[in-house]
Amino acid sequence: MSEFKPKPAANSLRFMAIIFLALALIVVLIIATGIGSVAIPPGQVVAAVWHGISNNLVAVNDIIIWKIRLPRALLAALVGSLLSISGLAYQGIFRNPLADPYLLGVASGASFGAAFAIAFLPSIPLVASLGLPIISFLFSLLAVFLVVIFAFSNNKIPIINLILAGVVVGSSFSAGTSFIMITAKDRAVNILAWLLGSFSLSSWAKLASVLPFYIIVLVLLMLSARALNLLQLGEEQAMQLGLPVSSFKAVIIVLATLATAAAVSVSGIIGFVGLMVPHAARLAFGPDHRVLIPVSALLGAIFLVLADLLARTIISPEEIPIGIITALVGGPFFLYLLKKAEL
Amino acid sequence: MKKILVSLVLFISALAFASDYPLTVVDDLGNELVLNAAPVRIVSMIPSSTETVCALGACELLVGRDQYSNYPEEVLDLPELGSGFSPNLEAIVALEPDLVLVSESGDLAKQLVDLGIPVYAGTAQTFSEVFDKISTIAKLINHEKEAAFLNLKMRTDLVNIHKLIAGASAPSVFYELDSSPYSVGPESFIGEIISLAGGDNIVTADLGTFPKLDPEYIVASNPEIILLADAAYGESAETLAARAGWSAISAIVSGKVIELSQEQVDIINRPGPRIVDALFLLAQIFHPDMID
Repeated sequence: MSEFKPKPAANSLRFMAIIFLALALIVVLIIATGIGSVAIPPGQVVAAVWHGISNNLVAVNDIIIWKIRLPRALLAALVGSLLSISGLAYQGIFRNPLADPYLLGVASGASFGAAFAIAFLPSIPLVASLGLPIISFLFSLLAVFLVVIFAFSNNKIPIINLILAGVVVGSSFSAGTSFIMITAKDRAVNILAWLLGSFSLSSWAKLASVLPFYIIVLVLLMLSARALNLLQLGEEQAMQLGLPVSSFKAVIIVLATLATAAAVSVSGIIGFVGLMVPHAARLAFGPDHRVLIPVSALLGAIFLVLADLLARTIISPEEIPIGIITALVGGPFFLYLLKKAEL
Repeated sequence: MKKILVSLVLFISALAFASDYPLTVVDDLGNELVLNAAPVRIVSMIPSSTETVCALGACELLVGRDQYSNYPEEVLDLPELGSGFSPNLEAIVALEPDLVLVSESGDLAKQLVDLGIPVYAGTAQTFSEVFDKISTIAKLINHEKEAAFLNLKMRTDLVNIHKLIAGASAPSVFYELDSSPYSVGPESFIGEIISLAGGDNIVTADLGTFPKLDPEYIVASNPEIILLADAAYGESAETLAARAGWSAISAIVSGKVIELSQEQVDIINRPGPRIVDALFLLAQIFHPDMID
């Protein structure tokens, strides 16, 4: 384990970097919430947030910031964070740089579950609002389970197997989603609106529904950071060092999948975030998961707030699905990694 | 007789047709809307409501519209606020409206309610409901007298159209929404207009309100008239004739494929005050010999 213990100087440097990223996130949030069809200067943004906290919304701009833009930006940040730590965890477990909630088919499983819930759950308030994330989660677990089973070969999971199994499972679930949409005629519009993603329907309530999952996943992953580091030495060595590898892997997979399902259940499918962000973090900060987890969480948040800003302003007042932006950046990045991985 | 009726309406309206504020109305989503005074800054996010407000003579109360509201012409000067399904929420809020009229489908109504903005969600789903909706919107904006006149005039026009086509045999009609081809069932709003205008829809009720038809079904039904609501998207008598097996359909052989203009499609699609125009338009197409 000592191999991964950073030197004290480096340690405080990394701590500084985390503080810096946290400040950067706040600045990005202030800038992003100021931009829109009504331009609002940073000073007024901060004032509006203060008015919101003290429950004293006076101006129209207060309402625009506190009730429309801020919950939206925060939800984007939360989803970016969730997808990033989810991708980081998958990559750590599979020891595979291409593992990502999107490529593994987990996101497609989650969206199949959500479509299923929208189509078949009775629209009783509590059943619908709790049923969707739960069913989403169950189907995304099924997806990752299928991928692992099919990719497994000679006690290993080769990269190419993992990617192919992910693609196949993912497209099967997507086909299932299309089938539900065609058969559930009257609810097809609701499913489509949800599938296209976007944060345009953000609210504080939505934010509150994801936050508990986020905290649970983040805390448990942080607690698993050292074990994740151990696992990078190889499974045998990790086992010799006392790590119950199989059960540990199962727990991390469940956590990563929970993170994906939580993200997908509020925002639809947003690809490549979980692939790109952990890589950028690793490039800049090395392989220590104790640093990588908070850094990925912050970078992912910043990235998705900026991507959402682009999505809602590029052809304003129309919005483009945020997935288009992440895919435009992430697609080339994926190809670069694929090339580098030398299959 | 007519004069007496009109003066009677005038008299009653003077007594009864003023809305009492605060006014409480429950909309089609079951949400309670409370208005403390007659609205003076109205945003309409659905064309039929825009047309209704203007037909009631309250066009000058509108301060914003959705991108599809294009009638009457004077609303084109109003700021565009996106569509009902992808609204520019911030721009709506920034206008500080005291009433927003929206469709009952989609999420806009809920978003506006959450923001504390007075919103009425609802559109007419049937032909007869159009009259109710005109009355309801009129009540909201304190124009009930105008609504009484408008509804009376529309009903009179309807009776007159009905008289013109009385006794005529109904031609079979296929209404094409798009080249899939999606069509309209008899229980849809457009389906109702087709039958009121004296047409016999080839789509039966059991197929649903907006069914996607098997092309073979259309060929087998052999409609005498085809209405193309997708002419603006490139469909025409020629493209229909080129579809496999369609060239023998009666409407195509006899040249009764009607390419509707976008404006005509708007009139037919919108459950607002122009339904009379829609009915007249279709009645003319179905019974050219009975209406000049």
